[in-house]
Amino acid sequence: MLPSIDLRIANIVKALEQVVLPALTARERLAKDQVNLCIGHLQMIAQQWRWAAAFEAGSFHAMIALAEEMQPSVDASYAEELGQAIATAKAVEGHDLAAVEHAIVALGGLIDRIILGEDGQVALAPAIWEAVLSYGEKQSLRERTWFAATGLDPDRKELPSIAEVMAG
Amino acid sequence: MPMAPASRGDVDVWDRSEMEPRIRHILERTVRLRDTGPYRPKSDAEVMAMLSTFFAAKGLEEFSISDVERMSGGASKEQFAFTLNHREDQQGERLVLRMDPLEAIAQTCRGREGEIQSIMGNHMPVAPVRWFDADGDLLGQPAVILGFVRGVTQPSEGGSAGVSGMGGRLGSLIDRLAPQYIDALAVTHRFDWSRAHLRFFDAPRAQSNQAAIWQVNWWSQVWWDCLVEPVPVVALAERWLRENAPVCDRPMLVHGDLRMGNFMFEEPSGKFTAVLDWELAHIGDFHEDIAWTMQKLFGAWGDDGIFLVSGLLPRDDFITQYEAASGNRIDPVRLHYYEVLNAYKCAVMDLGQAMRAATASNNHQEVVLTWLGSAGAVFLNYIVQLIRKG
Repeated sequence: MLPSIDLRIANIVKALEQVVLPALTARERLAKDQVNLCIGHLQMIAQQWRWAAAFEAGSFHAMIALAEEMQPSVDASYAEELGQAIATAKAVEGHDLAAVEHAIVALGGLIDRIILGEDGQVALAPAIWEAVLSYGEKQSLRERTWFAATGLDPDRKELPSIAEVMAG
Repeated sequence: MPMAPASRGDVDVWDRSEMEPRIRHILERTVRLRDTGPYRPKSDAEVMAMLSTFFAAKGLEEFSISDVERMSGGASKEQFAFTLNHREDQQGERLVLRMDPLEAIAQTCRGREGEIQSIMGNHMPVAPVRWFDADGDLLGQPAVILGFVRGVTQPSEGGSAGVSGMGGRLGSLIDRLAPQYIDALAVTHRFDWSRAHLRFFDAPRAQSNQAAIWQVNWWSQVWWDCLVEPVPVVALAERWLRENAPVCDRPMLVHGDLRMGNFMFEEPSGKFTAVLDWELAHIGDFHEDIAWTMQKLFGAWGDDGIFLVSGLLPRDDFITQYEAASGNRIDPVRLHYYEVLNAYKCAVMDLGQAMRAATASNNHQEVVLTWLGSAGAVFLNYIVQLIRKG
């Protein structure tokens, strides 16, 4: 595609850095802060955009795997609904980003209900506690890697690259 | 609102109605007003008009407002500096208008902030409170007007910090700042709130789990009111926090957001000039403040590879010095609980309230909210590690 997405992002960053920022007076501190954050976001998007659909699909598959791991240990009152939700989720086309996002909300909503157990009335099996923690550990590593470029993560030096996570 | 601790007894950990009344009011107001957006950043002219209406209603005579200047920093409130002259003050004073956009990363009460900051000004350096408009009756949106305080929250040179004053390095100022910082925490916790006749605060019962459950209900209601996308670890943390809620022996004033980003000092002396941002203050368990300031995101690695709490001291030194300054004994079990609670709160702010405000376009700096929101997974990781540690 011409002009490519990378080229357009690079052009916008240059315009912001070399034209917009110098045009702001010293008084315009908030505007300067926001332009700098816009540049940061754009630079991150440049690293991410190729992987975005695959990353979201990976998150979705991890959630389906969590649901399947929960299945043998859920209270009987949830068993049928969870089985149906897993089947519905598996039918979603992985390359349709909007459909994946919608399916994450649907399946995640049921997982939340099971975790909370109708506000504590239904016990949560130790195996499900562990399954959610294990899922959380892996998923948070993916997301921390995805956003490592913000520099907010104090342990960012220990993180793999986005390419390594996506290969992984 | 009664302030005297009531009878003993734990509350039902799943009773979501157990919440401080003023907090419930703020959360309900947030949901009620959410659909009236989007919010547009205020112009200087709009701010002048709002302030003129306000000062006229307050009875100021022959007043003028000048040198209105939008301020940067913070992730929550829209802030403008301005100079006010009036008949009783011909010389004028530089002031700061700190007002709520429609939604921010944390939905809090300007009445609580104004009230507690005003009182704490008698006990430690804070920005002086000149006026507040708790529900925006006069200004059109809730706001507090503060005296301008000079100082920095990170060294001007060599103290690289990120958005909202997180992760800065303090270098040679550490020895000067650490005792002042710990003293500010100790003074906050020693404050006798029971004699302060607070209008905007209620206190949880002593010798009860109510302090913890009020916090869990506050932040879980924010999560469910804001939900953009389910996050299983957040739901799991909520269940853990309810099932492990500890007793608070003696509720104390909790600042709620004390970290170096809210601790202003002069350069080059390193003399502390103000504790900022009392918006999350409440009566609760002091372990909450200790756990908050110990969060990794607010600290920094020293040159020797040792992690420094708030960029100041190694964890054990911090605890020892706090205990000596405050007379409070830190209970590791409660500290651990509040470390989970604070990681949960931060995840809720980043992945819940910030995302909802940004999605609804109800803030003046959504680009900051989505930047900070991207740190949500850092807190999810902490939640997992902390719950596993048990």
